[in-house]
Amino acid sequence: MAFLEIDGLKKRFGNVEILKGIDVELEKGGFLVLVGPSGCGKSTLLNTIAGLEQITEGEIRVDGRAINDLHPSKRDIAMVFQSYALYPNMTVAGNISFGMEMRGVPADERQKAIDKVAKVLQIGHLLQRKPSQLSGGQRQRVAMGRALVRDPKLFLFDEPLSNLDAKLRVDMRIEIKRLHATTGTTIVYVTHDQIEAMTLATKIAVMRDGEVQQFGTPAEIYNNPSNLFVADFMGSPAMNLIPATIATSGNALSVVLQREAREPITLPMANAPAGLSAFQGKPIIFGVRPEALTDPEGAERNASNIATADLHIEVVEPAGSDTFAVTNLGGKPVVARLRADANIQPGTSTPLAFNLTKAVFFDPATESRIR
Amino acid sequence: MSAVATPARPTASRQASGGMSTKTLNRIVIYGLLTLFALFYLMPLFVMLVTSFKTMDEIQNGNMLSLPKAPTFDPWLKAWGETCVGLTCAGIKGYFWNSIKMVVPAVLISTMLGALNGYVLTKWRFRGATLVFGLMLFACFIPFQSVLLPMATILGSLGRFGVSLQNSVGTSFGLGNSTVNLVFVHVVYGIGFTTLFFRNYYEAFPNELIKAAQVDGASFFQIFRRIMLPNSMPIFVVTVIYQFTNIWNDFLFASAYAGTGDSMPMTVALNNVVNTSTGVVEYNVNMAAAMIAALPTLIVYVVAGRYFVRGLMAGAVKG
Repeated sequence: MAFLEIDGLKKRFGNVEILKGIDVELEKGGFLVLVGPSGCGKSTLLNTIAGLEQITEGEIRVDGRAINDLHPSKRDIAMVFQSYALYPNMTVAGNISFGMEMRGVPADERQKAIDKVAKVLQIGHLLQRKPSQLSGGQRQRVAMGRALVRDPKLFLFDEPLSNLDAKLRVDMRIEIKRLHATTGTTIVYVTHDQIEAMTLATKIAVMRDGEVQQFGTPAEIYNNPSNLFVADFMGSPAMNLIPATIATSGNALSVVLQREAREPITLPMANAPAGLSAFQGKPIIFGVRPEALTDPEGAERNASNIATADLHIEVVEPAGSDTFAVTNLGGKPVVARLRADANIQPGTSTPLAFNLTKAVFFDPATESRIR
Repeated sequence: MSAVATPARPTASRQASGGMSTKTLNRIVIYGLLTLFALFYLMPLFVMLVTSFKTMDEIQNGNMLSLPKAPTFDPWLKAWGETCVGLTCAGIKGYFWNSIKMVVPAVLISTMLGALNGYVLTKWRFRGATLVFGLMLFACFIPFQSVLLPMATILGSLGRFGVSLQNSVGTSFGLGNSTVNLVFVHVVYGIGFTTLFFRNYYEAFPNELIKAAQVDGASFFQIFRRIMLPNSMPIFVVTVIYQFTNIWNDFLFASAYAGTGDSMPMTVALNNVVNTSTGVVEYNVNMAAAMIAALPTLIVYVVAGRYFVRGLMAGAVKG
């Protein structure tokens, strides 16, 4: 039995269904990230777990106990909000101990708990300050301290890093990951940033329009996207999704990609998924991540199925650690990820290697994966 | 002023070098007019002030605008302790305290109710909350005169109820007392305004704070007392100044429901001082009495005034 179980959860506002039957579960000590574009219902889902929104149907269980009818304060959860939601009239110490005060914890125990948390988060010197005297990162720490001090069964984070600048965001991301590793708490985390999702999660639920599109480990989501939306949403730069057709040569399948002003490329598929044979002569979407389309020298040595083709390079973007080259296939721009020192010029043709073991295929009609 | 703007505007600097720039001229006209208007507006206050320190001789034989030759506090002392209000000649001090006794509870109760209404209307929205708020807004636009008679009937009934309570239980709980009546009227009439102020202020108050407090286990009133009220200082000041000024200065309700007897407020008493028909009209005493009547609102504004503008802005502009 999982630690956090959400069964058939539905949420309606009047006639509008915001959450359309969510089924998710998380083991104890796990880190679940709810990710999706804005308006997908991820924050609403988090609020229903917190008890700040009532659910219409379904059940939420923590540690085997149904909590969906309990008051937020009775659910044994702690929440970190996007704006941190620090009480402006109280000191940092007051903010951290407010929950304990409400639960009637004696003053000396409160002080002990404050000191302990302040030590973990290194905010001891800030305890007597007001929130307005803190920097963004410090406020973030205090907000986490307020959650940590409860020692709850479940931590809820609602886009906690989205108000920080880029560098601080990376620092705090590492901090949260370290915190999770050292305390072993169970966390549900909402974000729209797929890098945060990939780096922090033990489980990711990719959401769209109130439905979970795919639920799995970060590696599963990244390497085995179950539909076009997940493939497109996760990963930066995004996966190349190229319109293509399937052809047969002998009894082997091959993928045909259209090129501008030149004959099409035919990539033989040695390990095509079984479902692909039904698409002979039909259009499909061929998905390949930028790192699986690279210069032949940089291609993975042990990949079993590599096909090389000459491609016309339109734009070159040196990004420091990598060089991105943009070409055009099937009428869409396609990004290849090359070594940083790759010698490549825009306007020329260069041979690039497709790592076809990493390629995925989608049915353009249903947008689902062809397996 | 022009020196600040000149580096950015070459045309302005050219004009400045040729004499006075149009900008400076504009400033002079604007400030000149403003000074003139301010003086005009302050003139009655000035006359009141100087007259209240003059002797009757000086008032009758001198210029209204001239400063007192031998300033005297006697008119103030007489207004406070000796002048005749109607038939009793014990000064206005008793009526001053009447007003305080009426204004302080009325201001506090209406402000607290407004804060509570604003809190519920923004953070605990219920079905029809917008309609309720609309109706409360409507209360702000009801003319005082139109409620005089119905309110008199209601107060009459409350008074009779108070008498029967007195006979049966032994206490009327203040029902029928004209000070209590006035507090009641001003609270009812003020709620519309105080609700409007607090609702608009709390509308911009972050909802996440309420959610955080809920997760922390705070109850409805704990959130109100510990989170909302301590962060409402600016709008509190605005509401208190507004309510204090309005209720203190009110004459219509005061004369209608407490126009006679010992519990009449300051405004009615002042009217009776000035309207005394016996003997010489003591302008200096009248002016001193009027100044005393105006002092509390002046003091409230001077003490808390700097929050007034700030609070009005905070309600209007988010962030």
